[in-house]
Amino acid sequence: MMERLAFYVGDSGGAVLASMLFVSLASGVLSPIVVANRMAFFSDAVAHASLTGVVLGMMLSFGHPIVTMAAFGVCVSLLIATLRQKSPLALDALLGVAMAGSLAIGLLLYQWQVRGYRDLHSYLLGNPALLGWNDAWVLAFNAVVALAMVGLFANKLSLIAVSRNLAQARGVAVAKYEYLLIVMLGLVVSLSVKAVGILMVNALLVVPAATARHVARSFAGLFWVSIGVSMFAGLTGLVAGDILNLPTAPAIVSTSVVLFALAWGVRRVAGHTEA
Amino acid sequence: MANEPLLVLDHVTVRAGERALVEDVCLTLPRGQLVALIGPNGAGKTTLIRAILGQAKYEGRITIHGRVGYVPQHLQYDRTLPMTVLEFMALSLQRMPVALGVTRATQKRVLELLELVGAQKLARARLGGLSGGELQRVMLAGAMQDRPELLLLDEPAAGVDIEGEATFHDLIARQVRDHGVTVVLVSHDLSVVNEITDHVVCLNRRLMCEGNARDLLTAETIAHVFGGHKAVYGHAHTGHDHHHGHNHP
Repeated sequence: MMERLAFYVGDSGGAVLASMLFVSLASGVLSPIVVANRMAFFSDAVAHASLTGVVLGMMLSFGHPIVTMAAFGVCVSLLIATLRQKSPLALDALLGVAMAGSLAIGLLLYQWQVRGYRDLHSYLLGNPALLGWNDAWVLAFNAVVALAMVGLFANKLSLIAVSRNLAQARGVAVAKYEYLLIVMLGLVVSLSVKAVGILMVNALLVVPAATARHVARSFAGLFWVSIGVSMFAGLTGLVAGDILNLPTAPAIVSTSVVLFALAWGVRRVAGHTEA
Repeated sequence: MANEPLLVLDHVTVRAGERALVEDVCLTLPRGQLVALIGPNGAGKTTLIRAILGQAKYEGRITIHGRVGYVPQHLQYDRTLPMTVLEFMALSLQRMPVALGVTRATQKRVLELLELVGAQKLARARLGGLSGGELQRVMLAGAMQDRPELLLLDEPAAGVDIEGEATFHDLIARQVRDHGVTVVLVSHDLSVVNEITDHVVCLNRRLMCEGNARDLLTAETIAHVFGGHKAVYGHAHTGHDHHHGHNHP
């Protein structure tokens, strides 16, 4: 066990640890906004679409695949946001189509083009062992984007989350901020996929704030608890997964779901169950 | 400036496709009055408010000489969101993310605003736990944040008990009296037109009547606006619009 822990002090282990901490920080910070603005299903759709981005990145290989992935993630986000305004369909149906469609196309392209080239599994569930310092820096950038997003726009986005109508009346350019949030989410999700996988990235964006909502009594509390839950689960999942020889991302998500259940219990015991 | 009318609507029409939701409305509101905008459901009251707020496209001209505050109809919000009233109000008052805390200056301002509506006690309360009446007061306090000269309240008494409604009307009257605000109180319910109302505007797609509250509240006018029955919905009153008392220059 000690030698596993010592690994994270070394160079390659340090990159993995730093990457996971940056991913956890970004998702913990964004999580309250994602949940409050009801974007959970949306970020899942973008995550699924990012498989197509990965494959396109390998096929086209202009620059680093991460560039293609990020660009594709942002494009898909914009496409969904535009369809949402034009389509008569409800958002969940639209996202269902986008999610299943882009995952299917991604899988077809993958089989056709990159079969045997890389392990599909590691894109579905993430593979931190593959992360190097280059990835850590990308994820540091990712965390900076998330922090900047919250630092600059959280008040407006939160007012929109409380009431779109009211925000509009207070002169907030609601549509502009919603586009901005969507693009940022597209970027953050696509950049996180390599570390935590297509199937797991959304849980990282949803569970921390969902957990925090059980115990937080204020909006500030919501953010801090969310960040705390995300960082704790990230670290615990990484180390425990490694020691028990389990895949990292599912271990992280399982840890945060346990915290979610505990928080629910705390809420019930504390007896404030207005919801 | 002080003698300029606060709000002038000049032949304002709002359409949804082919259909006119509000048609050819001309209206002038002076400062420091409590105005009731009444009409049956579907008469275009909210649509007209949206046009005044710049949220709906309209034909004609709307001129406002002053700042506008607004309390929306039936605020539906996520009651499970952990957020205090103080934090909610701070969202549109400070630049620093509320997630990092509420600044001293913002706290002071929020308490001042809540004091206007006698709700300082609610500052630390959870937004999701407020009663209908408390929420209305918080919304009214929020609408006062830019020191508006025109305050638009869309069906503010909906979901509020009778006692709360009376208190709320007193509060509104106080904003008019103490702060010289012109308040437009939108309602489908004639009972809002009472002793505190100065001016009444009746809308049923078109402007049906307008004038002094006491003069207008006759059985004839009511029957005319509400079509003799309060449940009349989208009744076309083409060619029958009497504009009573255009007593503003």
